[in-house]
Amino acid sequence: MFYLTYLKAELIRRIGKTLIIAAGLAIASAIIITIISTSQGLSNSQKTVLNPLENVGTDILVSRSVDSQNMSSLDEATRTELASQNQITTDLSKLGNPGDSFSLDTFLPGTMLTFASSETKKLTSDLAKEYSAGLILNVTHQEGKIPTITAEFQTGGERVQIPGVAPMTDAERAAIDAARQKAIADGADPTTDAGRQAIRAAEQAATPDRFKGGSSSFTAPTRTYRQTLSTPQTDIKTSNYTIAGVDTSKTDIGLILPSQITEGTYFKAAGQAVINISYAQKNNLKVGSTLTINGKKLPIVGIVDPKLYTNTADIYVPLSDLQTMAGKADRINIILIKATDAKTVDSTSKKISGLFAGANVTNSKDTASKVTGSLMDAASLMNKFIGLVSIIIIIAAFIIVSLITVFSVNKRTGEIGTLKAIGWKNSMIVRQIFLENLVIGIFGAVFGVALGIGAILLLNHFNITFSANVAGSNITQGFPGFMRGFGRASSAVSSASTGTTANLKLNVGLNYLILLLGAAVAIVGSVVAGMIASFRASKMKPQEALRQL
Amino acid sequence: MALIELKDLTKLYKQGGSIIRAVDGIDLSVQEGDFLVIIGPSGSGKSTLLQLLGCLDKPTSGEISIGDKEVNKLNDGKLAELRQHKLGFIFQSFNLIPTLTARQNVEAAIAKRGKGDKNKALEVLKKVGLEARENHLPSLLSGGEQQRVAVARALINNPEIILADEPTGNLDSRTGREILDILKNLNREKKQTVIIVTHSDYAKEFANKVVEMKDGKLHSEKN
Repeated sequence: MFYLTYLKAELIRRIGKTLIIAAGLAIASAIIITIISTSQGLSNSQKTVLNPLENVGTDILVSRSVDSQNMSSLDEATRTELASQNQITTDLSKLGNPGDSFSLDTFLPGTMLTFASSETKKLTSDLAKEYSAGLILNVTHQEGKIPTITAEFQTGGERVQIPGVAPMTDAERAAIDAARQKAIADGADPTTDAGRQAIRAAEQAATPDRFKGGSSSFTAPTRTYRQTLSTPQTDIKTSNYTIAGVDTSKTDIGLILPSQITEGTYFKAAGQAVINISYAQKNNLKVGSTLTINGKKLPIVGIVDPKLYTNTADIYVPLSDLQTMAGKADRINIILIKATDAKTVDSTSKKISGLFAGANVTNSKDTASKVTGSLMDAASLMNKFIGLVSIIIIIAAFIIVSLITVFSVNKRTGEIGTLKAIGWKNSMIVRQIFLENLVIGIFGAVFGVALGIGAILLLNHFNITFSANVAGSNITQGFPGFMRGFGRASSAVSSASTGTTANLKLNVGLNYLILLLGAAVAIVGSVVAGMIASFRASKMKPQEALRQL
Repeated sequence: MALIELKDLTKLYKQGGSIIRAVDGIDLSVQEGDFLVIIGPSGSGKSTLLQLLGCLDKPTSGEISIGDKEVNKLNDGKLAELRQHKLGFIFQSFNLIPTLTARQNVEAAIAKRGKGDKNKALEVLKKVGLEARENHLPSLLSGGEQQRVAVARALINNPEIILADEPTGNLDSRTGREILDILKNLNREKKQTVIIVTHSDYAKEFANKVVEMKDGKLHSEKN
């Protein structure tokens, strides 16, 4: 095939030109690959944060938050729950004997009150394609030794004052003397016992009653003894965490999904726990560790990176396990819903809102609007400029490649004239130049794709991180207004759940379509430029071509 | 019947406001086996005449027929075919493709491609005494050698007519004579018709027919 020989000779012997055009194409193609990939990486990150609901296959989130206005519309169970809970009264005496170790977990619904799980039946198939119920609770964990409580009372040392007796009057004394004289006179002999007794009896009789002694009574005033007991010295520690019950029957919608497990596995059976990656790091927990909740041992089977940023928990267990542990049989407090018609999420939200009393219905738009941060800035910048920049680069690359190609073909008009003179048809000349540019374009594409991949790897290597602040609708805030002072020994209800700032690493993916696009830009650019140049050259009359020698 | 017949051939160029009559009503017939030398000073229109003969350019008026074909009536594709099969071109500045070797340059002109192309090209190079240089690029060849490659290229399709535009113009007279010798031999041995446009006087020695051109008109000099 002579034209291949010619092609090879042309490319190799004009290697400088070949390389310059190929390099130009490669750079253009690499820039396009990098820009589009980066923008896609950004928008993927943005989607993850902007639409956390979508990450868990959900359009609409239903929870019930407390609001004094809607108190009246709540059912009895919920009202009881509202009144009786969110306070912890720990009766140590029921936990064991002083000196015993104890560990106690108390479940609180936080700001998210529960529904009866039967309420999900309201979600008819025209509203929800699929739904998953969950129960998220705050847990206050207390552990330590039961203290010995002693109270010391001091008694005795009271001073009792007895009222005094009035002194004897002279008359009384004279009466006593007279009585004694009379007894003696009556024959009582003071020298004999019988006589002395008779005299004493006479004196006694004459003595006024008040001197008769011993038998007087008095009443001491009533008094209360009070001793303040100082708080017993104990080592009881209190910590808080959040726990969520997951409907394990659904694997494509729910608080966590099997696909979000980063280590270990999803629930395989009841009585297992999956923990949040951040909780695992904070508490140094691993797959295989065991959690103990109120004496129930739960093996950790997996670690999860939950993508539902607004409603995460530290520990996830199967829903029925949590309902049992927390004594909330058939209660749930969050419903994740996949709308039947994705286009009518807004109106479906409204309908659902009407079905559940006191419900807080959130859809993806609401969550998206709560997100701010550097990621949003970068992404919106990218969105604004991506199209423009890509088009400018494509045009610039095309112009440069066209100019180089046309220039190099023009330099060969003499050659083309000669070829025509020796009998080459226009089609042969066009084919030759087309092939040259095709091959140069392919080189450019290969270099460009390699360069683009390199740039993407480099970008990922730098670990560029963006932050996105997700305004939480979490269960951490405690009760508003009217709840203040409600609890007696109420422990501060603050959640240990993951924060609401999501730091996302920019992960620029290698997308074959984008690489293909980059390659196509190089090849098409080169071929189109080559075609233009070769048509121009072939339309030239041979003698004109020759004259330009 | 003559191989080439020119009837009232005219070619006008517009240059600025004036019209240049490069070829001005020429009648000429060339017989098969002629060695025609068209001689004349620069600007006499001889190169334009040769381009018209070579079907590289179209006349303003008049007729050219080559063999039994009226060139005026042929389209670009047919003209390319005619050039390829019947005509061989030799240029003043050789016009070799700079990226191709001597042999490849000859191969480039082959009309019907086949497996034996390399050998065919090599054979023609042998005729012009350049087989040893087959793999050299034009830039490594002397002017005479380059022109011999060009001659070989012109001969590859065994054309009836060889058209040479100042073939010795860029060569010293000794090398020029060598080229003309080769052409004369071809003319003699294969009855190939040779038409040379030149202003070198010594070319006349090789001709069997010389015409002088001046201001677009021909003046016969030697028959």
